[in-house]
Order: sequence, then C-alpha cells, then structure tokens
Amino acid sequence: MLSTFAIGVIGKLLITLSFLSGLGSLIFYFLSAKEEKEKQLRIGNWLFVAKGLFMIAASVLLVYLLFTNQFQFYYVFNYTSLDLHPMYIWSAFYGGQEGSFMLWILFSWLFGLSLIRWTRSPYKAPVLFFMAMTQVFLIFMLVGWQIGDLTIGASPFRTIAEEMPNAPFIQANPDFVPVDGTGLNDLLKSPWMMIHPPLLFVGFAMMTIPYCFAMAALWKRKYNEWVGPALPWTLSANVALLTAIFLGGYWAYITLSFGGFWAWDPVENASLVPWLIGTAGIHTMIIQRKSSVAQKSSILFAILAYVAIVYETFLTRSGILADSSVHSFVDLGLYNQLLAFMLVITVVGLGMFFWRYKELPSPESEAKILSREFMTFTGAILLLILGLVIILGTSSPIIGLLFNENPTPPEISFYNDWSMPIAIIMALLTVIGQYLFWKKYSWESLFKELMNPLLVASVFTVASIVLGDVRNFYYMIYLFAGWFAVIGNGFVMIRLAKRKPKLIGGAMTHVGFGVLLIGILASSAYNTPMLDQQTKDYNARVRAGEVTDEQGFKVSQEVNMLNLDLNEPKLINDKYIVTYEGYDLGEQNRPGQQTYRVLFEPVDGGKPFYLKPEVYPMLATSTEDNVQWSVDPDVRTGLMSDIYLYVAGSSYVSARNSQIERKAGTQAINPEDVPETQTIKFSKGETVTVGGFNMDFIDYAMEDTTQLPPNTNIGVRAQVRLTHIASGQQFLLEPLFALYNDEDGKTYVFSPPIQLANYDLTFRFTKVYPESGEIDLTIDGLDEEYQDEWVLIVAEQKPFISVVWTGTFLLMIGFSVSILRHWDRERKKK
Amino acid sequence: MKPKLIIGIVAIIGFTSLLMYNFGESISTYTTFEAASDMSNAHVAGTWDDSQNYGFSMESKTFTFYMKDENGDSRRVVYPKPKPNNFEQADRLVVIGEMRGETFYANDMLMKCPSKYNDADPSQFVNASES
Repeated sequence: MLSTFAIGVIGKLLITLSFLSGLGSLIFYFLSAKEEKEKQLRIGNWLFVAKGLFMIAASVLLVYLLFTNQFQFYYVFNYTSLDLHPMYIWSAFYGGQEGSFMLWILFSWLFGLSLIRWTRSPYKAPVLFFMAMTQVFLIFMLVGWQIGDLTIGASPFRTIAEEMPNAPFIQANPDFVPVDGTGLNDLLKSPWMMIHPPLLFVGFAMMTIPYCFAMAALWKRKYNEWVGPALPWTLSANVALLTAIFLGGYWAYITLSFGGFWAWDPVENASLVPWLIGTAGIHTMIIQRKSSVAQKSSILFAILAYVAIVYETFLTRSGILADSSVHSFVDLGLYNQLLAFMLVITVVGLGMFFWRYKELPSPESEAKILSREFMTFTGAILLLILGLVIILGTSSPIIGLLFNENPTPPEISFYNDWSMPIAIIMALLTVIGQYLFWKKYSWESLFKELMNPLLVASVFTVASIVLGDVRNFYYMIYLFAGWFAVIGNGFVMIRLAKRKPKLIGGAMTHVGFGVLLIGILASSAYNTPMLDQQTKDYNARVRAGEVTDEQGFKVSQEVNMLNLDLNEPKLINDKYIVTYEGYDLGEQNRPGQQTYRVLFEPVDGGKPFYLKPEVYPMLATSTEDNVQWSVDPDVRTGLMSDIYLYVAGSSYVSARNSQIERKAGTQAINPEDVPETQTIKFSKGETVTVGGFNMDFIDYAMEDTTQLPPNTNIGVRAQVRLTHIASGQQFLLEPLFALYNDEDGKTYVFSPPIQLANYDLTFRFTKVYPESGEIDLTIDGLDEEYQDEWVLIVAEQKPFISVVWTGTFLLMIGFSVSILRHWDRERKKK
Repeated sequence: MKPKLIIGIVAIIGFTSLLMYNFGESISTYTTFEAASDMSNAHVAGTWDDSQNYGFSMESKTFTFYMKDENGDSRRVVYPKPKPNNFEQADRLVVIGEMRGETFYANDMLMKCPSKYNDADPSQFVNASES
C-alpha cells in the first residue's frame, strides 16, 4: 500500500507530465504548422496522445481514491462520504472544479484524437495547435505547483494537510484522516445531474473545434474550405449544449424549489450564450458553404462562440459571481490563471481576425433583402445580439461598475424585456428565411406563398387567445409570432419531407423554436398558484390594500401557500379537493426523509391521484444540533398542464426542529413550552386518541415476580399499541406496574418509564383500578392543546410545460438531422 | 461614406445606448437599511442577527428574522416565504424589498453560503440522521 504522500506525488506528477507533453505537442504543432513539416506533426501527435494518457492515468487514480474513500485527500473528503451510492461517486468525480476540468480535458482530448484522424492539410497542424493550446491552459489549472508561497493551479491530489495547514487538528496531527467525508451535495444526487455535466463538457470541448478551424483558416489564409469540416462539429457542439441545458433545466424544475426550468441565473446563462453564438455561427457557415459569402462572420462567430465559453467559465469559476448566482463555484485561487486563459483566447482570436481582416473576402455586391443570404445573416445577427444582451446581464458585477460601486445583478425583467422582442422578430423572420432558403421569391410571390401560413397561424392565435383568456396585447403578438413560426416552417418542412427528407433539419429546428416560444409564454406567464378560497380572498384584500399588519402598515405580499390539516379536505382553485393524508418516514433513500401523501380529487369526476413531495435533512451540511431541511418537489406531468408542489413546512419538521433546539440548548426554555404531563385512563380493548396518537390497550398480564426486585408484591405488564396517526408508525409498549414493600412494610409503586425518543415522549404505567380493570398511563411530553398535524405546501399549476420540452426535442432532432446530412457529405469528399 | 453604413452605425449606437441605459436602470447598488428607507426595490446586504428571535409564523405565513446590515444596523426583516434551506449557514444575506418604518419587507432573498467548510473541522461532521 502506497503512502498518502506517495499517492499525492504520483497524482501531481501525472498531471505535470500531462502538462509538459501538452506543452511539447504545442511546440511541435507550431513548428509543423509554420513550416508544414510532416515529421514535427508526427512528434506533436505522439505528445498529444501522451498528454491524454497521463490525464487518463490521473483520472483513474482520482476515481480510485474516491471509490476507496481516501478522505485524507481534500477532494475525496469534500465530495464523497461513506454512504454515497457508487453511482454518485462518478458524479463526485466531476462534482468539484478540479474534476470537472479533468473531464473537460479528457473530452477535448478525445475530440482532438478524431481531429488527428480526420483533419486534412493545410488545416491539420494549425487546428491541432490551437486545440493543444486550449488544453494546455486547462491542464495548467490543475498542476498544483508550490513555488514558495505561491500555488499555481489547484491539484485534485492535495491532501487535507496541504489544503488547511493552519487548522488546529492538522497542527496536532499532520496525518489526520477524517472518518467520513462531507459528502456530495444532496441536490446533486440525481440521475439527471449525472449526465448533465458530462454533456455540458462534451459541448464545451466540441465548441473548441470551430474556433480552431477558424484560427487555422486565418493562419493559412484559406478562408473557405474550413467550413466543411467545422460545420458538423459546430452542429454537434450545439446539440450537446442544448441537451445539457435541457437536462439542467429539467433537473432544476423537478428538484429545486424555485418552481421553474429557467431563472436567468449566471450559470445557466453560461451555457446558453455559447449555444446562441454557436447557432449564429451555424447560420453563417451554412450560407458560406452554399454561396461563398459571409466568410468574415463565420470566422468571427466561430471565435466568439468559444470566447463566450471561456468568458463564462471565467465568470462562474473565478468567484466573481459569488454574490449573484446561487450555484457558482468557489474561487480556488485560479483567478489569474482563468483570466490569462480568457485573455489569450480572446486576444489571439480577435487579434488574428483583425490582422487578416483586410484580406478576408468581401461580397462583390450587396445582398438583396429578399435573399436567403440576407435573411440567414440577419438571423445570425439577431442570435448574436441576444447572446450579447445576456452576456451584458451576466457581467453585471463587472460592467455594472460603470453605474455604481457595488452593482447588483439586473432584475429578471431586464432579460425578459430584451429577449421577448428579439424572439418575436426572430420567429417572424424564420418563416421568410426558410421560404427564401429553398426558392427565390419576389415580394409579391412571397406574400402569395405566405397567405396560407398567415391564415392558419391567425386562426391558431385567435383560438389560443380565446381558450387561454389572453388579455395582454404584447402576449398576443408574441403568440402570433410563435404560431407563425410553427405553421410557416411546418409548411416548408412538410414540402421538403415529401421530396428530400434528409434536408428537413433546418425547417424542423425552426418549427421547434416556434413551439418553444409558445411553451415558454404559456408556462411562465400563466403559471397559477393553487390556493383555497380563503387564501384567495385574503390575497384579493391584499391587492385592494385592505390588509394591515400589527404595526399598521399595509401588507403588500400575497400568500401563495396552502395550509392543509391532516385528513381535512380543501377545495383548491375550484378544481380539486385536496387532502393531506399523512406522511411516511422512509429510511431507504435518504435517512430522515418524510414522504408526504397529498391526494388530489378532481371535482369534475376525473381520476384521483397522489402527489408525494419529500422533505429530507441535507446530510452534507447538517450537524447534530442543526439539521438543514431540503425539499424535493413532486410534479404531476400532464399534456395540458403540470401540477408542481413542494412542502414548505410541516408539523413534523417544526416538532423535530424544536426537539433539536431543546437538545442543543440553543433556545432558552420558554416556561409555556415545558412539556405537559397527561394521564389517561382506559380499559382493556379500548382505544384512546390523544396528541396525534391512537392508543390501543390490548391486554395485560401478571409478571413473574421472581424476575423483579425482591420485596415485590405484584407486577403487571400492560400491552399498549401506539399508532402515530400521521405517519402510520406503530410501537408496542409494555410498561410495567409493580408494588413493593420496604422493610417497614410501606408499599411503593414502581413504574419504570419507557421512552419514545423520536417523539420525546415518556410513558409510565402508574395505576391499576382492580374493581373496573382500568389502568392509568401517564405520559410526559405530550402537549395538552394538541394541534393537528399540518403541512404547508406551495403548489402551482403550470400550463404547457410539455410544450417547452417538445420544442426543445424538435430543436435537438432537427439539429441531429443536419449533423447527419453534413457529416455524410464530408465523408463522401474523401 | 455610404448612407447605408451611416444608418448602420446610427442603429448600432442607438441600440447600444438604449441597452446600456436599460441595463443601468435595472441594476441597483447594495445599500443599507437606513439608505433603503426611500427606495422601492432596495438590495440590502448583511448578516443574520442570531441574537434575536426568528422563525416562520403560521398565522401570517411569513418568515421573520433580524439582519445586521453593513453598518451594523439590525432590523426586522419579513420574508413572505418559508425559511429557505441553508438559512442558518449563510454567511451573507441579500434581501430585496422595501423599508416600511423600522421593518424591511423582503420580496426576495439571496444567500451566500460559506466556501465549503474551509475552516471547519472535518472530525466534527456527523450525519444528521444519526443525531
């Protein structure tokens, strides 16, 4: 068995070797690209391969450490724990910054190998040069070199002692190994979170390739041919990013409690912006390939798409966004390295572009407005503008400094206000663009062609306005734009499908875009809270300004929560009768988890159904005297609308909290809170309901007095079955009642207490009434004024979420069809 | 210069100024309770004042706690949602809303959680379930 020290050294050595071979390949690729020499290229390739093998070895070592729970390594300690399911140990591998860089490098390397295999001269060497360059920067983040007081890169192989040398337990014992790790964040323990990050990095790695091709084109002054091989890569990068964005959104929707699939969070934007700019690049590459125009913009967009990735990586990983994003990474001291990476990629990229700008081919004549070139180009520009608007919003911690010293992130309305009109224009133009893409039209003939789609779209729009009770004029225009995109592009798609089904990719993505727009509007603007009449009346009074609080101020905040008492049905939104039927305490998935049963019975006689939201303690951040509860919403997916629901509070959780506080002594004991003592009297076979429990007095039996202390006269043991009504938990209690005499002949009662720890209750069998056969059971800890079990839920009806997903799927399929087509063509070229 | 180029430049400048103007309007600055008294959508940053009572009220369905702003001024904050996960762990809070008298009514709250356990003792972490 190797010592910790040796493993740490080997790990760091592997990464350093990977870095050095990367650097070597960079040099040889440079020489080869400069002098077009085959020999240097071959050496470069060998070094490139070696770099990846070292990185694989390092990854295998890290995965080994993770699987063998070597908590002396900080990364292992920080992201895993003994009880972590093996499936999620893989998630832990890329759960932190260091591991996610490794994963990114590995994917990038794999795509690099396929570039070695398939790229042709004269692009080969320069493409690989730039590919190697990005990887060298990424590996550099991981080297973890100690030079004096300076640490360069954050090594995944640093030990706890290296991470926190000044911690008292390290000073006391440098070889300290924690018994258990802090564990993976519970929110990340989701199958969706297993595939989301790898796909994102596949997208990031693939998006490097158009950048490399564009740079190679500038270097070699070959401005046209690069688009052929670069296009399928860009399309693939887009599909990967889109799928990753979709998975992230879906995960957020079903596991987080913000209640939606998109929140304009900087980290979400970080994956959307490269996608938008990459899509802009796809548009210009397509017209460049078809008509030999837009060489400048294809190169520019290819550069910008990758710059956007690196810039957003910088924002999310440098700690700059720590205040504005809920899930940005913590700064690992990589700020300067990330900044250098970003600056080099940007300056080299844009510098080369402007250096060659004059040489770049320009169109001889300006394109007519009614041409596929002009329309496609306009689409690309709109995508770019949308991307820039989002970058601006995301950059508020930096660009906001222009406005004040301590800028906050922009309001969400900033994103919505700008993206909506842009999306409307885009949607309208997609139809015109698609028609013009396949055929030449004059204004007149185009209008004639568009008559039918316009009519159909209008009918659908009016129908949606009437059915959905849309009153906002702006929304009506938006709806029309969405429908027009669906119908118009649908016409084109059907026509193409009849003749050349291989070509429908483009039309299908545009249909998907329209569907997505309609879905976004329906699900976000018509999202309604599910409330009972009483709460609705209260909210109406709040809106009317009639409610004041204890200090006499007007209450402005509506209540969007629903309070349900156990087994007391409430009518919700005049649609459902909702009943809280209790909870189950499950130990199998997450220890301490409660699964609540909420029954929905449709008033119109539909089939009743249950929603089962969960509440669980966050293991990774909870301590003995501070349990942090996390919620797991439940979603009932429907074709027309989803019901989304989570538990905001419950009697169980608040009882557990006060129990924990009492134990920890963090709260002064309020005299009113002192647990009560109650005595209940019942006879055999009787059931008494008290304090949320059903107590069945089943039987009693004489106890063998020889087993009891000497001097015992009589011993009786009762059997009481205790059923906790809300959770259905059952306990069988067998309290003892005994009488014994002391030396003086005095009689004493002996009733040893039985504890029910989870409920903080103590039971004693205190009296027997021989004449009636009844007994007294004395219970400590039961509130006299018992409140019914309750649950507070936040429930929302979200119409047409399914349409959002459908739109996304259409986009994915459309892009995939295009990948096949372009890939097929590139292959046949050989 | 060609007229089209001029139109283009004017359009770009117009668009950019409008965008920047709107961006400037939609961001605000982190402030203090005192300065927030005449603001409608104030972002106040601070820390949780754990010396005072806090908790969720079932009657008003609000979560109430005290927060110290950057001047050390402690005020009552009313948040119309349940207590967020991780509330006690947050080492920085940002409440967004308005002051009314001495009380801050937050419509939104952001929490910054400590950089993962950098100064915590790994030997002390216990699974909550075992407690």
